[in-house]
Amino acid sequence: MVICLLAFFWIVATLFTGFGTLNVDLLTTSALKGGYFEMIVGTVYLFLGAAAIAGPIGVFAAIYLVEYAPGGKLTRIIDQAINNLAGVPSIIIGLFGYTLFSRQLGFGISLLSGWLTLALMILPIVIRGSEEAIRIVPTSFKQAALGLGATKWKAISLTTLIAAMPGIVTSVILGIARVAGETAAILFTSSVIITRGLPTSPFEPVMALSFNIYVKIVARGESPENVFGIALILFFIVVAFSLVAIILRIYYRRKQPWLS
Amino acid sequence: MSYEDKIDIRQLNIWFGEKHVIRGVDLKIKANAVTAIMGPSGCGKSTLLRAFNRMNDVIKTSKTTGDVFIGEKNVYENGTNVYDLRRQVGMVFQKPNPLPKSIYENVAFGPKIHKMAKGKALDKVVEKSLRSAALWDEVKDRLNDSAFDLSGGQQQRLCIARALAVDPEVILMDEPCSALDPAATAKIEQLIRILSSDYTVVIVTHNMQQASRVSDYTVFLYLGKIIEQGKTKGIFENPQHELTEQYITGEFG
Repeated sequence: MVICLLAFFWIVATLFTGFGTLNVDLLTTSALKGGYFEMIVGTVYLFLGAAAIAGPIGVFAAIYLVEYAPGGKLTRIIDQAINNLAGVPSIIIGLFGYTLFSRQLGFGISLLSGWLTLALMILPIVIRGSEEAIRIVPTSFKQAALGLGATKWKAISLTTLIAAMPGIVTSVILGIARVAGETAAILFTSSVIITRGLPTSPFEPVMALSFNIYVKIVARGESPENVFGIALILFFIVVAFSLVAIILRIYYRRKQPWLS
Repeated sequence: MSYEDKIDIRQLNIWFGEKHVIRGVDLKIKANAVTAIMGPSGCGKSTLLRAFNRMNDVIKTSKTTGDVFIGEKNVYENGTNVYDLRRQVGMVFQKPNPLPKSIYENVAFGPKIHKMAKGKALDKVVEKSLRSAALWDEVKDRLNDSAFDLSGGQQQRLCIARALAVDPEVILMDEPCSALDPAATAKIEQLIRILSSDYTVVIVTHNMQQASRVSDYTVFLYLGKIIEQGKTKGIFENPQHELTEQYITGEFG
């Protein structure tokens, strides 16, 4: 605990040395003129798109696993596969994304390839989080709906799912927090050092904060102090999403009397 | 007074996995009357009740044989629309189970999923149902409040109103007062008496006083078999079977 706290504050303190290099103009200035605009928006594009893909798929998968899966050997294998997917190193996910999406499917180095690759990383988080959210909803809701003559799907979608929504939203946000700073997964699939403005279609490459740090340090051999500003922005984005998730959870817990 | 039979059960057997819960039950239930099914815990009362609207189907390991006629129709016949059946045969559960919605939306839920009414007509259905459940005066000014803001007794009456909103013929109640205090229980019991003039009511209870207070007919169930059935007065004053007498006098339960 203490070590975690110390490490956290040390990171924050280090990053804040980059605060001096930041100003509001830089945030809105194009990268072509040395600003950060495209990489900030690009980062947001990347994780929002990935969440939009992984969210619905993850929620339906969770509904299936909790409410419909027969519970045999196949279900256990799927269950284990989800856990394993969560544990696959991001560089391998990135490599896989590059092979499948960029090359096999021909999406190239593009926003779309990045979305799909990052979605693979968000998916297990959304599935596990949504499953948990669905499981804690009292079965009495579903029973009430079934007793009124609702079909199983209606009972689930109109009662269980609605009651589980706060937990589901929280899980998607946690998924975003997980990939917002992701580098390896977008390294080969979607990011480039510089673009002319923002991508205008999903088939164009995109700039990203994390990728930019990586390139500046590794490829250009710049000293770390030069990227502390970018790192700080990225840090804020990720922390902000985690905080939103925590706040939402507390807020909704109060609004769900059946949980207490 | 003579009543017509509304429910006719013939040789009903129900298993959960290997467990034989209902063992060859034959039973006729009168229309527009209150029938109480009583018996000790675990005797199969709730399972028997849930056979009437096929709620046992929800449990994967359950297996049912025999016939349950509601009116003219055998509900265990192939091709029965269970969703329509459950509309016709409403259910009130042991613990009040309002949906996480407003008071209005709770009552409107059934009519909405069955596409029975909308707009002004739906408002009317909601009001009528809440009136029938003796809840309207208490909630008419706060229909948009969460159903969880109501007291336990009010929640249970809301659940009754919700069941009434889809225009059922039969209402099944599974120990509807077991989670309520005596005052709330009295209100529900009074309501059950009133409802029986329009609906066929079947109530499961392990509370004998309740059975004697609210029901016209009583069925005594023990280990999945019917030991005795008949007019409530007769069963309580002059039980024919030794087990019934022992149960009524409190020797077991």
